[in-house]
Amino acid sequence: MNDPRRHPRPQRTRRGFLQALGGAALALPFYELLRRGERPARAGGVARRIIFFYFPDGAARPGSKGDLALNFHAAGTETSFSLSKQLEPLATSIPGKSYKDSCVYLNGVSMWGSDTGNHPAGARKLLTGRNAGDGQSLDQYLAGTVGASSPWHHLYLGAMATKDGTGGSNCIVYPDGSGNPVTPMDDPRVAFESLFGGAPGMTTGQPTGPDPRKVSVIDGVLDDMTRLRAQLGSVEKSKLDLHLASLREAEMRIKAPAMGMGMGPPSASCQSPALDPVSDGDLKDEHRFPQILRAQMDLMVLAMACGLTRVGTLQASHHTADLNMALFPGTEMAALNPNGMRSHEASHYGSSSDEKFTAFVAQIRWWVAQYTYLLDRLASTPEPGGGGTLLDSSIVVLCTEVSDGNTHSHDDMPFVIGGGAGGAIKPGRLLQLDNQPHANLLLALAHAMGQPVGSFGESSSGPLPGLLA
Amino acid sequence: MPSAPAPRSLAPSLALALAISVAPLLAVGGGGCSGKGLTSTSGGAMLGAADATAGKALYGQMCASCHGVMGEGAIGPALSPWTKTERALVDGISGKMPQNDPSSCDRGCAEDIAAYVTSWSSDCASQLPARRLRLLNRREYDATVRDLFFPASSPPAGIACQADADCQIHAESCVGGACVADPCNLRAFTLPAGGQKHGAVRVAGSFNGWSTAGADWQMAYVPKADLWIVKHPLPDGTYPYKLVVDGAWITDPTSASTQDDGLGGKNSVLTVSCSGGAPGSQGPGASPPAGFDPARDFPVETRPPGFAFDNSAEAGLVTSVHVDQYLKAAAALADLALQSPASVVPCDPSGDAKACSAQFARAFGRRAFRRPLTDDEVSKYAGLVTAQADFKTGVGVALQVMLSSPYFLYRFELGAAQPDGSFKLTPHEVATALSYMFWGTMPDQALFDAADGGALDDAAGVEKQARRLLADPRSRPVVEVFASQWLGVESILVAQKSAALYPGFDDGLRRALAEETRRFVSHVVFDGTRKYGELLTAEYTFANEALAGLYGISGVVGAELTQVPTPPERRAGLLGHGSVLGAYAYADQSSPVRRGLFVRRNLLCEDFPKPPPSGGKVPAVFPGATTRDRFTQHSQDPACHTCHQYIDAVGFGFERFDAIGRYRDTESGKAIDASGDLNDVEQLGSGTHAPFDGLPKLAGVVAGSERAKACFARQVYRFTRGALEAPEDRCALAGVVTRFAESGHDLQELLIAVAAAPTFTSRK
Repeated sequence: MNDPRRHPRPQRTRRGFLQALGGAALALPFYELLRRGERPARAGGVARRIIFFYFPDGAARPGSKGDLALNFHAAGTETSFSLSKQLEPLATSIPGKSYKDSCVYLNGVSMWGSDTGNHPAGARKLLTGRNAGDGQSLDQYLAGTVGASSPWHHLYLGAMATKDGTGGSNCIVYPDGSGNPVTPMDDPRVAFESLFGGAPGMTTGQPTGPDPRKVSVIDGVLDDMTRLRAQLGSVEKSKLDLHLASLREAEMRIKAPAMGMGMGPPSASCQSPALDPVSDGDLKDEHRFPQILRAQMDLMVLAMACGLTRVGTLQASHHTADLNMALFPGTEMAALNPNGMRSHEASHYGSSSDEKFTAFVAQIRWWVAQYTYLLDRLASTPEPGGGGTLLDSSIVVLCTEVSDGNTHSHDDMPFVIGGGAGGAIKPGRLLQLDNQPHANLLLALAHAMGQPVGSFGESSSGPLPGLLA
Repeated sequence: MPSAPAPRSLAPSLALALAISVAPLLAVGGGGCSGKGLTSTSGGAMLGAADATAGKALYGQMCASCHGVMGEGAIGPALSPWTKTERALVDGISGKMPQNDPSSCDRGCAEDIAAYVTSWSSDCASQLPARRLRLLNRREYDATVRDLFFPASSPPAGIACQADADCQIHAESCVGGACVADPCNLRAFTLPAGGQKHGAVRVAGSFNGWSTAGADWQMAYVPKADLWIVKHPLPDGTYPYKLVVDGAWITDPTSASTQDDGLGGKNSVLTVSCSGGAPGSQGPGASPPAGFDPARDFPVETRPPGFAFDNSAEAGLVTSVHVDQYLKAAAALADLALQSPASVVPCDPSGDAKACSAQFARAFGRRAFRRPLTDDEVSKYAGLVTAQADFKTGVGVALQVMLSSPYFLYRFELGAAQPDGSFKLTPHEVATALSYMFWGTMPDQALFDAADGGALDDAAGVEKQARRLLADPRSRPVVEVFASQWLGVESILVAQKSAALYPGFDDGLRRALAEETRRFVSHVVFDGTRKYGELLTAEYTFANEALAGLYGISGVVGAELTQVPTPPERRAGLLGHGSVLGAYAYADQSSPVRRGLFVRRNLLCEDFPKPPPSGGKVPAVFPGATTRDRFTQHSQDPACHTCHQYIDAVGFGFERFDAIGRYRDTESGKAIDASGDLNDVEQLGSGTHAPFDGLPKLAGVVAGSERAKACFARQVYRFTRGALEAPEDRCALAGVVTRFAESGHDLQELLIAVAAAPTFTSRK
């Protein structure tokens, strides 16, 4: 308990550099922001986009090692290793394809901080690297930097993430350092309409000019915001800074509607996108969870393929949800527990001989299979500018808010880093690390995205050793 | 393993318990009082350089869950008012606090926290909250644009109702406690029962594919009107249909319009023609179209830890998705309004278009921004109108800008500077605060008039308007929202229960459970004794047939909720509601822990540290054991007992109710023991006992508790302020609690007291 590494000294400037960056971004007109998306050269390459795929309530026995049937983590050497039963769907869930060597597996990454051993604190820390969630989450930081040249700086899609309310730190995206998260779009129809509903040229394939009326509206609103900020000075500054940044983002979408096409010619699917009709319906019916999650993953991939965004977060359910995963049709979980088995209930499996353990392992396998589906969709989509697939140039992070669902531990977290990352990360490896803070992982991911910042969160000391090429 | 010395300042009765039990529990890292790894921003600076702002954040993370957010004390002792020196406080923290890991807070950290704690003023006059902006949440946005564009559709004062049956049911609905005409396209199908008992009546027609399945088109029996009824929104069109009465197809006896059904019989025919604007209509319609819910796709509000309500001021952040949705909603609302431009433009633009655009900007802007516009603003918005080629398009642009403007989207609490350096809310800000507090929407004309005429400049004027608003039926929906969120029972609408154990737990029952609690609280506040105690001890509730079946109450027929007596030896007040019992239970079993925590947190405003990492596991159900048997570990293991002595002993009092709120005498074949103890009810660590046996007795203990009443006042205060109380709320809150007590705990007087508190109208 008294390991000094467990008591890292936080950065003195609490969220200094992020706010400085945020402030600078706000002062720039939108067309100057465009240039900020051009990334500095980095030896080994830079990833073009990143997706965080979150699933709830941890995994089974990540803290134990060696028994691949029971424990989460992979085992072996850096380049010669075997997947556990829980990770196995990476190799087996898509017939004829294995994504085992498309990922880096991390053993020995822990979430440091004072508030450990529970779900809400884990959700606050996961992407912020800060105990109280009182800093920008990494996806939001990347949204404001590499994401700022895209029509949507950031895309946050959920599947039943807000179904049970939004107290208890259920959500994992923190925009402004106030310690308050924002919520995902849980409805694929709403997300679809936002992404593809109003973009001129998107449906015809012919770029058209901005809609003059929309330009008048957004200019009028920005004018009011400018007046208000002048009137208020420092009062509610952080709230209005975020509001203004959001207005600027909308301004970009309105004034430069074809801008997202800069990465290459839009594919046919961008010109006449369609929403899978099975995803449109009751958003609370647990039987439909797989359809909804799949629709959101499809939308995320489509938005990235069409150049609408570079930074995405997919939140499947939320921690401590009573999601009855045995209702998912045709799954191993349905076969195991015809009378039902809820996600959080199963996570408290007690011992590995408990029937809940078997159910929980099946649940983790299902989450990993969904993550694999996402990798496969990216791997099946050509890079718009040519040269490889979306997966080659992307980072796809599998994450959850606690390590072992049974103990709520924050040690030895079950992270998996997928994708070719544009050469920034060499996949197909297992890294054995010695109690590294996850803030170092977040820092490394920022570097891989071409943002060589010095620190991230409360306890980072340097990019996670061995991850970056 | 860090040691945990008992500090001198601990209350004697708790000191021993904490030293023995809390320390090992917290030391493993799960304690809410813990704060490992944190240091201050000022590091080892001298006392004079301590940073109270940094101290505030540190206090919230490391101290508040034990000492209270206002330093008022909880499981740890009170810190406010701090009567000793700041140095003494630093010495008391440094090296000693937080108990489980004193090394985590170095001297600089202790100095920052001490600077924050000693900055709490004991001078009431200087205790004011900060100036701020409050984003409209989804329900406020919906209500506001409804009033902006359909002012006539707001329920008129005085025609009160509790249920649709109190209204002209075939053409009106009971909305927010008042009868409101149904929208044109919401059509009622009725069958007068005429004293006959039917089993099932439904409608089948071209609108539902002549289907006789599903609950959607089933008609409900309304005893008060002695008729069967179902309402559905229908698009314009002509629809043949029939009624299906116990399997027999008949034409609608209330309709003379029929046509041949092609099989030698007749169908009834309904023609709906609503769009295109009724002749002579003053607006896009007197009422919004059915299903009017412009904020439907807006992001869900987040609720900060410990804050139960959907209106947190600090969490009201505008993301890119919000802006996208605001712009879309504004465009749709402008289109709707421009179906009848005269509804928003008070003049004829064919004359002096420039003057008319200014007149529009001034008149509509004043209502949209809830204050008079400045001349600059008038010319800006008039300019937006005239910049477009035609007037109507220009009005559309101006409307969209206004509806997307921060001046519309935020409620302003900025105020005007006063000679003493504080800020006093402007009259229009006060009008806005009152209106959203009581009605959840923009001010009405009378409030605008009061603000314009200086009638909100003093406390008496504010209270007078508060009483007017509270007396209007439009205040009911907000009270009902408060009740649902305070009790945390909205979740019953999505609660999943074991289909094997509770096959009847369907959406209809979920809705009835949620509605029961809303109706009940609204009834107590407006139609009952108005006393806090009645919320806990009432020997009645509101139930429909399905709910009465769940409760074992006979004689209730139909889908509509009516007031019914409850057996006093079994149920009492809110604690006996299925919404509460079901929300604080698991899918397949009750939960003494969840129910006990509900009483402590929601009713007594007491917080507890989080369970340790290895905790939180629910003991498995096994034959021959009652729930109480399975939770004995909590009282045997000292690490658990420290907190669970306050939780389980309360929760056991609910044990005669299963996971969906059904009464039971036995579990696993054994008689249920529902005795318990609401120990330390007035103050944790005080060593008092309040033994009880069963839910009604537990409810009686809560009803008699001063702490429970003060907690209720605190919850109303939180909901009104949109924030957890902070040290600067101490005096105002104490004043509210006193006034509440002086009124004999009259719930309406409590609302008035919150509106009359200095923190309602003054800022620093």
